[in-house]
Amino acid sequence: MTAPVLSLDHVSKRFGSTLALSDMSLTLHAGEVHAIVGENGAGKSTMIKTMTGIHQPSEGTVSVDGKVRTISGSQTARELGIAAIYQEPMVFPDLDVAENIFISQVGGGWLQNKAKQRRDAEVLIERIGMDLDVDRAASGLTLAEQQAVEIARALSQDVRVLIMDEPTASLSAHEAEQLRRIARQLAADGVAVVYISHRLEEIFEVADRVTVIRDGEHISTRLITETDTDTMIAEMVGREVGNYFAKGESYARDELILSVKGLSLDGVFENIDFELKRGEVLAMAGLIGARRTDVALALFGIHPATAGTVAYKGEPLKITSPKQAMDAGIAYVSEDRRKLGLAMPIAIRANISLATLGDFLSKFGLINRTKESETAHHFRERLNIRTPDVETQVEMLSGGNQQKVMLAKWLNMQPDLLIFDEPTRGIDVGAKAEVHDLIRDFVREGGAAIVISSDLPEVLAMGDRILVMREGEQMAILNHEEANQERIMALATGQDDPGRAAA
Amino acid sequence: MMRALSNLNPQTLRIIALLLVLALVILFFSTQISNYLNGRLFNRISSSVAIMALIATAQTLVILTRNIDLSVGSVVGFTAFATGSLIAGLPDLHPLLLVSYSMLVGACFGAFNGFFVAYARVPAIIVTLATMALFRSLLVEFADGKSITSSQLPQWLTSFPNTRLFELGQFQFRASFVIAVVIVIAVHIALQRLRVARKLYAIGSNPEAAEMAGINQKLTVFFAFVCAGALTGLAGFMFLARFGNITVVAGLGFELKSVAAAVVGGVNIFGGSGTVFGALIGAVLVDLIETSLVRWPLVSEFWREAVLGTLILTAVALDAVVMRRLVALRAAKHHEKREKEVSHG
Repeated sequence: MTAPVLSLDHVSKRFGSTLALSDMSLTLHAGEVHAIVGENGAGKSTMIKTMTGIHQPSEGTVSVDGKVRTISGSQTARELGIAAIYQEPMVFPDLDVAENIFISQVGGGWLQNKAKQRRDAEVLIERIGMDLDVDRAASGLTLAEQQAVEIARALSQDVRVLIMDEPTASLSAHEAEQLRRIARQLAADGVAVVYISHRLEEIFEVADRVTVIRDGEHISTRLITETDTDTMIAEMVGREVGNYFAKGESYARDELILSVKGLSLDGVFENIDFELKRGEVLAMAGLIGARRTDVALALFGIHPATAGTVAYKGEPLKITSPKQAMDAGIAYVSEDRRKLGLAMPIAIRANISLATLGDFLSKFGLINRTKESETAHHFRERLNIRTPDVETQVEMLSGGNQQKVMLAKWLNMQPDLLIFDEPTRGIDVGAKAEVHDLIRDFVREGGAAIVISSDLPEVLAMGDRILVMREGEQMAILNHEEANQERIMALATGQDDPGRAAA
Repeated sequence: MMRALSNLNPQTLRIIALLLVLALVILFFSTQISNYLNGRLFNRISSSVAIMALIATAQTLVILTRNIDLSVGSVVGFTAFATGSLIAGLPDLHPLLLVSYSMLVGACFGAFNGFFVAYARVPAIIVTLATMALFRSLLVEFADGKSITSSQLPQWLTSFPNTRLFELGQFQFRASFVIAVVIVIAVHIALQRLRVARKLYAIGSNPEAAEMAGINQKLTVFFAFVCAGALTGLAGFMFLARFGNITVVAGLGFELKSVAAAVVGGVNIFGGSGTVFGALIGAVLVDLIETSLVRWPLVSEFWREAVLGTLILTAVALDAVVMRRLVALRAAKHHEKREKEVSHG
């Protein structure tokens, strides 16, 4: 066999104290579609970034055509024939298709020959079998067309390794099929295609070999004909669950807080049905693109649902704005601390009072700082926020402590229903356990919680019941006793029949 | 109407719309001001546009990359003064050398701005706000209380802007205007055809993608500022030639007018789209309205600035609305066409 086009040999990548890739080895051969699967956070993106020169390996080597290479940046990667396309394509909205394709072209003089560029673009677009007018501005293209433009751009640079990162996650079924056909076609032309996807069923259509990775480690590489979904799922989730993830007792009471029926948002999610009792935790599991966050945003009034009903404490409630949701006692702790959650350059004290500023006004309508400080100190102690004082700017805190400030902000509202969206993403294990305790305290005192998490052990540790979603659909609600990682993963990847699961 | 227009290139459409607005403005004022439409109006506007068109072109280069240059007025003032003192000292200097000197001085200021924006990563609005003041103070220091007067300048320099190259009826085409238009057209063609120019558009259009496409963003932004500086320097030369008398307040307020010209001319303030030809027409429009307002008895001089402000607001808001509709229409049309093809195939 000829030397692999690209190979990773015992590559490790460290970010501070976390090991994102650990002793990873992988070979890619010309003409194959090589699928890579793993849970969210398994290390797939780090691996891609190592191949495309965005990250340098901490240990181990990357070889191209059998020769060890240092890929120092995306420019070097391109020169070696390695390109990547992402779920969100990188196009220039103001340029037309032909210009987009040839934007990084080198050589050929100062002037651009428009006519030639146009003809060359047409040839490339034809080669990937798309029907696309090369004079159109990229701003009007669909996501699939934009991806086609990116693929054509890679082809124009004689790509030898094309990495497709979740390319079909936001595409319609028809577009996804078209994209898989393109991937097969490129492989037939001798390109090594890396195909990353959460949709296990499409991997069987497109891939020659499949590699499973988990927690930054290489688990297996098999021919697609020698594996099946059960094996893949088992390998994807097969980590040992430590003690700390043990599920505590349920505090569910009889009083119904929330009852959601047929909740839908056109084109995003549909027919979400669940009930939530006081003292109960409903965990929402699913992969990226399962639309769990969109359900939360609908319940919180940011993107109101277009159909379905919500009954809150027994009364029908139509939520059309966050203000309304908050007035009713519903709070949402965002997954994106930076963008939606915290005012980074502002003191902890001011962040905690932000959502409930009305309670902190003195009789002249001024903000009562003493009261703010008292509240902030109370939460600092209760949540064990590690900071010398509450005047510290939030951006100076570690991720875990920032998360706690955000929780304090919403707990201070004393909501009846708290939606936690990825409450422990990117924070260390110790802080994770503290956040878990906090959620448990909250429900024990009579609140109800929805916990969205991509971390399966967390889902199992927190959820009294577990709602599994896949691509905007509710697959099943599992009781804690009947749930395990394999079951959830099978539902989330569409390998399990929801009918059977519901029974 | 919208349907038929949606077939045209958006940039062409913008230019047509601008010309239409220009015609309407002229028509309007000709009913308001007696003896309005004549050769004098054209001559007056063409002389002042000769300077503003160059500055607006420079501004466009920078805005295309998602930046802005507020120091253009100070650069015009400084280069005009510096060029004037050079020729006053060396009256036999070859004209071409003098022009090169102006452009070089301007390019140096541009490089200063470009260095801080591209390499030190300070936002352009901050950098050029600072250099607007800085360059102006530099001029005050350099001038040392003196000013340039036309008596210090050689004859060829002061007479050249008004040299009539040709005449069409009442309209005199003077050298300064013709040169400015030729330069605008040259830059226009360069922006459409040069590979490096495409990078300006790419960076303004999607900086992240530009990085991924291996475009050297820092160098390209730096380059844009240097080119803009050189063009502004040339404008400083024209300013000197036209007015002859240069004081430390030369070019004050040009930053507002140049941004106005570019934006009214359809250059997207967020970068990525626009043409210098549009900016030229924008400059004409802004100047025409300003000049006409002076002669319009209905508007007091205190309101002139307000009219300019309103014009900018209206132009940008209208542009945003119309373009959004156009894009939507086009997408719908494309979809329709595709559906048809599918059903036929």
